[in-house]
Amino acid sequence: MRRNKWPLLVAALLALFVFTAAGCGGDDEGAPTPTGEEPGQPAAEQVITIAWGAEPPSLDPGLASDTTSANIIGNIMDPLLRIDHETSEPVPNLAESWEVSEDGMTVTINLRDDGMWTNGDPVTAQDYVYSWKRTLSPELAADYAYQLYALQGGQEYNGCEANCDALADAVGVRAVDDTTLEVTLVSPQPWFIAQLSHHSFLPVHQATVEQFGDQWTLPENIVTNGPFRLVAREPEASIDLEKWDEWRNADEVTLERVNGRIIVDGTTRVQAFEAGEVDALDGSGLPPDEIARLKELPEYENYPYLGTYYYGFNIENISDVNQRKAMSLAIDRQTIIDNIAQADQQPATGMTPPGIAGQEEINPNSPWTPASGDIEQATALMGQVSSPDTKINLFHNDAPGHREIAVAVQSMWQELGLQTTIKAQEWAQYLEFIGPPPSKQVDVYRLGWIYDFPDAWNGLSLWTCESGNNSTNFCNEEFDALVKQAESTPDEAERFQVYAQAEQIMFGEDGEVPFSPIYWYTLPNLENLSIKDTFFIGPFNDMDLTKVVVTEAAA
Amino acid sequence: MTTFIIRRVIWTIPVVLLVIFMVFVMMRQIGGNPFRVTERNVPEAIQRNLERKYHIDEPWYVQYSYYVKGVFTYDLGPSMRLRTRSVNDIIEEHFPKSLQLGLYAFLWSVVIGIPLGVLAALRPNSIFDYGAMLFSNVGFALPNFLVATLLIYYAAVRWDLVPTNGWPSGEGIAQLWAVDSRVILPVFALGLFPLAYFARLVRGAMLETMQQDYVRTAKAKGLRWRRVVGLHVLRNSLIPAITATAPLLGLIITGTFVIEIIFSIPGIGRYFIQSVSNRDLSVVMGVTVLTSVVVILANLFVDIMYGFLDPRTRDVRS
Amino acid sequence: MAVDRREAALPVGAAHADVPAEAAAGEPVAQRSLWGDALYRYMRNRGAIVAGVVFVAMILYCLIVPGFWKIPGLWTSLVDIDPNKVNFADSYLPISADHPLGTDKFGRDMFARTAAGGQVSIGIGFAAALAILVIGVLYGSISGFVGGKLDNAMMRFLDALYGLPYLPFAIIALQIIGEQSFFALVIALTIASWFTTARIVRGQVITLKQNDYVRAAKAVGARWYRTLFRHILPNTLGVLIIAIFLDLPGIVLGEAFLSFIGLGINPPDASWGSMAQDGRAAYTTHPSMLVIPSLAIATLVLCANFIADGLRDALDPRTRES
Repeated sequence: MRRNKWPLLVAALLALFVFTAAGCGGDDEGAPTPTGEEPGQPAAEQVITIAWGAEPPSLDPGLASDTTSANIIGNIMDPLLRIDHETSEPVPNLAESWEVSEDGMTVTINLRDDGMWTNGDPVTAQDYVYSWKRTLSPELAADYAYQLYALQGGQEYNGCEANCDALADAVGVRAVDDTTLEVTLVSPQPWFIAQLSHHSFLPVHQATVEQFGDQWTLPENIVTNGPFRLVAREPEASIDLEKWDEWRNADEVTLERVNGRIIVDGTTRVQAFEAGEVDALDGSGLPPDEIARLKELPEYENYPYLGTYYYGFNIENISDVNQRKAMSLAIDRQTIIDNIAQADQQPATGMTPPGIAGQEEINPNSPWTPASGDIEQATALMGQVSSPDTKINLFHNDAPGHREIAVAVQSMWQELGLQTTIKAQEWAQYLEFIGPPPSKQVDVYRLGWIYDFPDAWNGLSLWTCESGNNSTNFCNEEFDALVKQAESTPDEAERFQVYAQAEQIMFGEDGEVPFSPIYWYTLPNLENLSIKDTFFIGPFNDMDLTKVVVTEAAA
Repeated sequence: MTTFIIRRVIWTIPVVLLVIFMVFVMMRQIGGNPFRVTERNVPEAIQRNLERKYHIDEPWYVQYSYYVKGVFTYDLGPSMRLRTRSVNDIIEEHFPKSLQLGLYAFLWSVVIGIPLGVLAALRPNSIFDYGAMLFSNVGFALPNFLVATLLIYYAAVRWDLVPTNGWPSGEGIAQLWAVDSRVILPVFALGLFPLAYFARLVRGAMLETMQQDYVRTAKAKGLRWRRVVGLHVLRNSLIPAITATAPLLGLIITGTFVIEIIFSIPGIGRYFIQSVSNRDLSVVMGVTVLTSVVVILANLFVDIMYGFLDPRTRDVRS
Repeated sequence: MAVDRREAALPVGAAHADVPAEAAAGEPVAQRSLWGDALYRYMRNRGAIVAGVVFVAMILYCLIVPGFWKIPGLWTSLVDIDPNKVNFADSYLPISADHPLGTDKFGRDMFARTAAGGQVSIGIGFAAALAILVIGVLYGSISGFVGGKLDNAMMRFLDALYGLPYLPFAIIALQIIGEQSFFALVIALTIASWFTTARIVRGQVITLKQNDYVRAAKAVGARWYRTLFRHILPNTLGVLIIAIFLDLPGIVLGEAFLSFIGLGINPPDASWGSMAQDGRAAYTTHPSMLVIPSLAIATLVLCANFIADGLRDALDPRTRES
């Protein structure tokens, strides 16, 4: 016999309301805010904790393909050169100097003689020859091998099926002597020097790799040559670095230890920061809904990030350029930025973002991408379209920010009389759908491109006919010719003109508008006041931990 | 009983084979390129090299045989996403943490939940009873991600009682008793639902059993109430609780996915979800087979317990 | 194979209604039908009544406020609101007469949106529960009725499926459909959860199979499907209805889980699960975004359970007052 349960049920429901309504009392306490002292003396304990947004899949420079790995590798290894954050110019690092030949096809790099591995061996040009060929080797199957296609014979070696040793020898890199590296390029690519800052050009220690094989990146085996050393690693949980006292420039490095905690969920990262458990986030993003609140904190910092967020059109489905222009006009970018993305991104007016050398000349300031949208002109243009595609399928991968932007754009296109169906998909399935070539169902798709090196070519080469990243079916011979021409134009002013023309083809008055750039990325981040002055994330989401100093202004 | 156990254990093998087959078919059906990590397309040559390395370019029956052999020799191959880690390593590194989380949550739910239900049943309609049932109903109804979020917000961020995330680590089997303050919130959040479930169930079953004639008779005869409860009532009330264990275990296993993500626990659940998204077939295969074996063993254990507690089942064979 | 364990928690073959409780001695007894008796007893359980009322009220709220199908919503037409209209100027408004629950980030009214989300969540819940029922009944009754080797094989197959995790099923289903629509989610959740119902039905069928009237039917020469569908299954109906209400919370929470890992329903539609996930990120500044859908889910879960409890008490002959 059951007792009457109704008072229990009522009480339970009431309790539910009370309990969770108590949650509504959340006022903004936020992170422990220290009294705003002047940036004081360096603290006694130079240790910081960073929250990494993902487990680095590999610390092997040949295999790393994500920003977390790149950031860690960039600090435990010594790059040939770094890109200056202010001027976007390459700055010598382990490479003392370099010369480019007249025809631009040969680059000679002079290494410093005090580069050293952690086991005492000197860093020699041979290390680079070995490492670059290793990255190109078909056995390693490196994702970023294509960065090394700039080298003569690189692509052939990478794709070789048989008789590979001969091809390996033919790759255009050799060690003239211990500190001189000679690189032969496949075309006079003017950005090659800047490209050398990318982590795929870092060397590995040959003997270590040969001895330990797959396991050479374990803390007990790894041999590196940079300012920090990997001392501890727990997969998916933590990764710790310590200063290497014998690095050539160790006197200039103040930080003693960098503890890394791997926290995948964005909300959890913010919570860890606010509870004082980490000193900085790694720039992998803040949850969009929290940014409005976090912006008010003194710990908030916003960096430019070289990347473009765009909506691509499937030209085969939306074949009338006027419709594409109209759809691009109808998007109110500023509203999206202010209300959804909320991290002070910049509305995009072309493909190439500011921060890329020459962007002022290259940027077409497209009439088809007004910051606040232009519904009247858009509607007028729509009227001119003879047989418009009124049922639009908008595909995107299912992540919170993208979903919300899609909803906003959907309502904006509704004013044009277009009925947009949003199709959210899981990432791998999504990539299948957009190919290229994109599935027939795809009318519009969302994607972003993050630049690898500070030259506009990196972003413009995406849109050539054969590009594996062009899912718009856009194919313009003139455009392809311009991109090809840029490869052999070392003079910057000239090259910028070529880029500007290419952008005009896409976004000028008579542009084809194969995609609609929405905004240029930024990197919102949270940093403890004790390190905020010296902790810096560059426009490629790269961190230089040698510059970080912990000051007394800690809470 | 022994033949029963042996028969069930032997049946595990064809079941595992079936599981391997189904996972294999399903993952092939899903499609997707395990090597395309970011939106950048993988150049052809590299794609070919990778496919060759992982035997994807071979006919399906060859691939299938690799997996079967791998499972039975416990050599599950390298992960497709993390090229330098083998699936064996991944499982050995992360599974103990999930197991620990699930076990602790289960124990917590049993140790608190069942006595809570028992005591509530022994004092029906008292303040204690109402309080316990209130707690249970609230814990039962709230989704676990809500509970977890609230817990972190209040206990960890606002009041700074415990860390916001993470999990202690230990070597090998020692992982199972590696404990520090980070354990508290996740175990609480994960175990709350089963706790509430057990409490309600046991209370209801006990109240029902106490109305039975034989219990009333025992009481009327003057037997010590405690003995009556302990011997008769409790034992019969636990049967539906044991019954509920199997589906609850399944719930705990799915629950770990969410809890591991929210609390940043490096367990196999979170890893598994990522692997399915990444189309990392080696890891998906290894983890799925492992989970199946665990579930089968758990079911077997529950069936055995049931056999001990309920004499009726021992006699019935279909 | 031992009697199915969940048997013990469910009423056993309530085939024939007995004499109702308050019959004075010697009086002619008016027989109540099974359902009449069940209804009578259900009504005596106040907890179940409250739960039932709340549940019905919730469904009405979800249907009437935003309207469904071609029928316009009562409240949305009254106040002239479109639950999907985006208007950033109105975002995060406080509670007012126009917006009884405020607005969300897009300026969409939360009162209407929660109702619309309820349509999706409860809709998926019932659709999946029914689909689970159909599949479970087919599988379980065939397995239980035929028995022997086929039963053994089918149950072992079920064991294998039990071990397979939720997720690949869901992703497969979603990929076959090609999108994350209502039906895709229903199918995904059904495929992942029909096992337990199949087992319950099988257990029931096995128990009922041993009753005399089944043997009688067989002796008379009835075909197996007639016996199964005409005699056995109707007697499991009570159990099946209870099973629907027991499955409902699991499915709604399962759908929330899928939203959590990024497999939720296509925007701009929302379900309580996807709204709760969106709300989780905004918790520190706008807690109502998380609290409202979570409360909705919690209410549904509680009510469904109390109703199931009430139904079980109502249908269980063992708890009949003697």
